Amino acid sequence: MKIDKKLLILWIASLTLFSGVGVSTLLLPDLLRGVHGLAIRFFLGYCGIIVVAQVCAFIKDNRHLWEDSSGEKKSSITLSILLVTLLIIFSSSAPVMALESGDCQGCHSDAAMVGAAFVVNQAAFDTTAHAEIGCPACHESVGPGHPDDGLAPSKVGCQDCHSDVSHEYAGSGHYGYADCNDCHNPHQVRGATAVSGHDMNQQCRLCHDSSKVVSGHTDWLPQAELHLVKLPCVSCHTAAKDNVITLYIVKRQSGAKISGLEPASYQELQALAKGKPIETLIDGNEDNYISLAELRLFNLNRKSNLSLQGMMTPETVTHDFSLLANRRDCSFCHASGPEARQTSFISLVQQDGSYRRIAVEKGAVLDALYGTPDFYMVGSTRSKALDYIGAMIIAGGLVVPIGHGTLRILTRKNRKEDRRSDHE
Amino acid sequence: MSDTSRIYLQPTPIRIWHWLNAFGIVTLGLTGIQIRFPEYINLFSGYKTAILLHNVAGVVVAASFALWFFYYSFVARNMLKVYVPNKDEVKSGLLRQAKFYLLTYFLGRPNPHHPTPENKFNPMQKSAYLAIMFLLMPLIGLSGILLINIEPMRDLVLMIGGLKILMAIHYILACCLCAFLFTHVYLATLGRTAFAYIKPMWTGWEEEESDDHQHLDHLAPRPN
Repeated sequence: MKIDKKLLILWIASLTLFSGVGVSTLLLPDLLRGVHGLAIRFFLGYCGIIVVAQVCAFIKDNRHLWEDSSGEKKSSITLSILLVTLLIIFSSSAPVMALESGDCQGCHSDAAMVGAAFVVNQAAFDTTAHAEIGCPACHESVGPGHPDDGLAPSKVGCQDCHSDVSHEYAGSGHYGYADCNDCHNPHQVRGATAVSGHDMNQQCRLCHDSSKVVSGHTDWLPQAELHLVKLPCVSCHTAAKDNVITLYIVKRQSGAKISGLEPASYQELQALAKGKPIETLIDGNEDNYISLAELRLFNLNRKSNLSLQGMMTPETVTHDFSLLANRRDCSFCHASGPEARQTSFISLVQQDGSYRRIAVEKGAVLDALYGTPDFYMVGSTRSKALDYIGAMIIAGGLVVPIGHGTLRILTRKNRKEDRRSDHE
Repeated sequence: MSDTSRIYLQPTPIRIWHWLNAFGIVTLGLTGIQIRFPEYINLFSGYKTAILLHNVAGVVVAASFALWFFYYSFVARNMLKVYVPNKDEVKSGLLRQAKFYLLTYFLGRPNPHHPTPENKFNPMQKSAYLAIMFLLMPLIGLSGILLINIEPMRDLVLMIGGLKILMAIHYILACCLCAFLFTHVYLATLGRTAFAYIKPMWTGWEEEESDDHQHLDHLAPRPN
């Protein structure tokens, strides 16, 4: 047996591959930090030992090749190549061992009359809770003489009604950087469950650059990008409570780049519903309840690039914007088991841009493969049916060791006799 | 050692591949259990530890798969010969080997298959390894790579049918691999002694009784 060049090239290539794995762990510094870092170092260390032991055995087995054949020079080159590659491995595994309003509308719906800045979108305003109290409730100084009386219309302070929120917000890190109006347009603001998870994040993006947000989370959060798509920021960055799974109808935007999935607009859904209410796209019998069968039907007969995208959204939001330590513990969401994630909704966009939720049969998100084919929360939404199938497969694998092993023990005498007779 | 000959059965790259695989797959299995059943099993302190270790071990096993593939396709160049059963093996070899495992083994007869570097596996091993190395491992590896970072490859995931389908594929294949592992480890102890088949996988050298297999001597390079 001789060491041919190809084998050496293969060695160097594969050792580089492995050291590449080692080096790449260096690029993710958090990977080797803390308790998990210890486990990973341990794992990689052992992998290193396997490689080194086998390489040493190879060298030992073939020592005669470079000791007696074509001279010292060649052997030392081969050996040094091996040592260098070993060093690469070690250096990479060394660290290893190392995120009355009607009057107002007459003028304030026309940009030509009042200017774009003072137009209030009536359709959007009507869906807000503020519409119930009407314009004069906040702009109380506006009288019959407006606008000719020359008085600047008064604006009520948000804290007059929302004193709790205001007080809470005053203690947050955001206070002083953004006022209420910077995130919430009082003429459009809606409750937490009447906006989509995507919309919640729109406010954050006004100040926080998306790519920086992703890179800031990558340091410690596995699948950072995925988490940031699937979770409104406030789920983790406020003490928001009662997270539920909310499903939105998304559509691949035509000509979009990779992963161009965006919430389908009302107009798009309306066109597909062909004159019927858009709810019928998924709630076939219009009973305002999505059964498992309806969910499955929607997913199996998917219309024109529509699919369901799940997000974890909070039922109640807060304004403390604190960094919650328990959200860094994956088990906060992932290790609760399937029982904890039973509540889910389909949230449908309405003509005015708000969202309306329809309850989904309990457990649907968890159990059916086709219920939500593109939603899976590792550790939380596994399918029980698959658990059983898997267990049966594994049990099948145990048939050989147990069955054969039992017979083997019972017949061990046969083999002993046979071997003895061979030797005699 | 006068009555035994030694065959160099397992070259270094294959040994490295095998033991990285062994260690990697056991790690993947254990972390995998915790990832799927976190409320019952906590072997690696935290959930994040299990996830990250699973990812790292997955990448190591994938790299080791690449080593195996390149070794057989560019250096040994006998991948098909070693892994694809020939006509005779399908016709009669499979039956003969099954008969050995199910009957003649218990009667104390020797294994009808004698490994050589060119013909390492018995017909049953060949068929099993063919399915595992050419179907199971690539599929489980590719599904795993997709699952390491989902968002950039969401379109591909959707093409497969969605995240849940991908998870199901990954999980069911993992169960198959786990089932195979039990059988594999058990059958590895069926040699003359419990470690007779396991030792060559670490050292490369298989010892055979010479009176049966003198014809193999010329195939067996001796190291000293």
